[in-house]
Amino acid sequence: MTQWFTIARILPQRLGLNGSAASAEILAVTLRQMGHEVSLVDVHGPGDAPNTVDIVTIGSGSTSQLAPAATDLISLVRVFQHWKQTGAHWVAMGMGWDLLGESLVTADGTTVPGAGVFPSRADYRSGRFSGEVWGHDDQGRESAGYINHASRSELLADATPLMTVEEPSEGWSAEEGLRGERLFATHLGGPALALNPHWAEDIARDVLASRGVSAEPGEFHARVTDAAARARALIIKRLSSRR
Amino acid sequence: MGKVAAFVIAKCVRFLTRLRGGGSAFPGLVLLRMRPQVLAETLGMLPRGTVFVSGSNGKSTTTTMITQLLRAHGLRVFSNPAGGNLPQGLASAVVAQARISGSVRADVAVLEVDEAYAGMIADALTPDWVVLTNLQVDQLNRFGEPENVYRMLRDLAARATTGVVVNAADPNLATLGAEVVAAGVAVHFIDLSPEAIASAAHGVVAAPLLAESPDALAGEPVATLVATAGHSATIRHAGETLEANLPAPGLHYAVDATLALGALGVLLEGAVDTASVQKAMTEGAPVYGRGETISYRGAEIALTMMKNLPSLQANLDAMTQAPPLVWVAVDEGTPDPSWLYDVDLGVLDHVDVLTGTKAWQWALFLDYRGIPYGQVVEDTADALRLVAGMSQERGVEVSAIVNYEQMMLIRRLAGYKELEGQR
Repeated sequence: MTQWFTIARILPQRLGLNGSAASAEILAVTLRQMGHEVSLVDVHGPGDAPNTVDIVTIGSGSTSQLAPAATDLISLVRVFQHWKQTGAHWVAMGMGWDLLGESLVTADGTTVPGAGVFPSRADYRSGRFSGEVWGHDDQGRESAGYINHASRSELLADATPLMTVEEPSEGWSAEEGLRGERLFATHLGGPALALNPHWAEDIARDVLASRGVSAEPGEFHARVTDAAARARALIIKRLSSRR
Repeated sequence: MGKVAAFVIAKCVRFLTRLRGGGSAFPGLVLLRMRPQVLAETLGMLPRGTVFVSGSNGKSTTTTMITQLLRAHGLRVFSNPAGGNLPQGLASAVVAQARISGSVRADVAVLEVDEAYAGMIADALTPDWVVLTNLQVDQLNRFGEPENVYRMLRDLAARATTGVVVNAADPNLATLGAEVVAAGVAVHFIDLSPEAIASAAHGVVAAPLLAESPDALAGEPVATLVATAGHSATIRHAGETLEANLPAPGLHYAVDATLALGALGVLLEGAVDTASVQKAMTEGAPVYGRGETISYRGAEIALTMMKNLPSLQANLDAMTQAPPLVWVAVDEGTPDPSWLYDVDLGVLDHVDVLTGTKAWQWALFLDYRGIPYGQVVEDTADALRLVAGMSQERGVEVSAIVNYEQMMLIRRLAGYKELEGQR
């Protein structure tokens, strides 16, 4: 039976750099292709925020957006608390993840409190990493993407890494991303969910399960799974040839 | 090593490189190894000085247009080839154009300069003028974020000994201009009418870092883009209204033409001949690989560059109807194509063939956008033969959306042997 879902996209203008606002679009297509209806709502402040949402997505931004985005998010903290209590699923990329964590330390050493949605802390004193990565996720599935980010994250409480990176660059952790109950976060770039449609399906399955509905992937999902596997194979080939 | 000996060797290297069809930057690299000061002792001696053209997009086109306009006014202009904007590329252009004695027969140098190498080039050759096209989201894998590019461009502008010309319709450059004015540099600017900006669905596509409260520049613009449509731009300059012929349709090309005209006015201190401008701007040839149409096995292939999000968006905005036969070719020259998901595909309603090592990432993107695509052919030579056959069969032109590296490869495969700048 067709279900109706709402996906909230938080500060897509500030935090939508380099395709990182695309998670909402990819999740919407994933659910629609399973026969469900999805509406996307851009949230810039409490006035735009729906009372209930099924999925909250937030993207990444450049460092000049860190302070204004943090300021904007202060007005949304209560909304976030309400959405958390009402069972929303959270999908965060890059700087958006950092801002929704417990706290972050800026490049100049200032500690900024986060929105407290994700059990993690970010540190922007680590320098930037930019490059393709691949590895296996927490369910052993081959996963890959591109990271261009200037912070490292420390996971707190019972959060687990999303994936283990094969042969990470020197000085960088093999653990990437965060997975928790109704929580998904990564530093992989914009189309991470497209390149790894198993993650988009995981999130869709969880959202549907919270309504007591099972996910029914179809021909579209098989096609993107195949295309993504081919795209990832080329990433892995490139990385392997550089060793 | 002595100057003459260094030039003899570098010219021999250039001859051998061209025989082998090799890279155009190598002779310059050899010359710089032998004479690190060669740019200052050649181009630094020109009577009318040097003009650096930099920015995220439009460098090649603007450089070409300024060069054409100056030549139309009787000046001898030294310029580097489109894309040859690193130190070795500049030095290669010197090898190609200098006498064996190392002297360059030119009055002025108009040089396209890569943002990241601008400081290094300015160390070797102080710019008299700096012309800045725009600051857009570009090559984040290389630059990290646009803030870093802002600093590079600002530092370059601050080193101009005579003045700076900026495109103030880009709010980032308006702020940059105000910042260097405060540091004592003369800043001139061009502007765009609201109608001109509205001619493209996404406007000037500036990087969103300083767009919220740009500092205004004082004074009158040196040129204003009044309107643009198709291959034509209407530009107001020095009290006159001129019609410019653009290399291809699009607001971005119209901005380049306006900037070139504005720069011409300040370089010639107002001594601009309208008839010469009109002639140069209606006869301008397309820049290598930008808005260019090549032929292969009887098929016409129109090359549209997708260097980055703003360049692809600007080219898509300029399309007024869906192209009938579309070929997308993208490889490792675009290491991180994440920005694709920010593109509005506009009238593009299908893609026939996808090529290159990033073809499957494009295919995924099209799947999520609901845009149908045909075949994925990873090898470019195979794909070129395929699209040429499809073009013949259907009797339509191929619209090729390509990154720089694929553009170079396709041109070479199609028998266009000359490298950039060898025309």
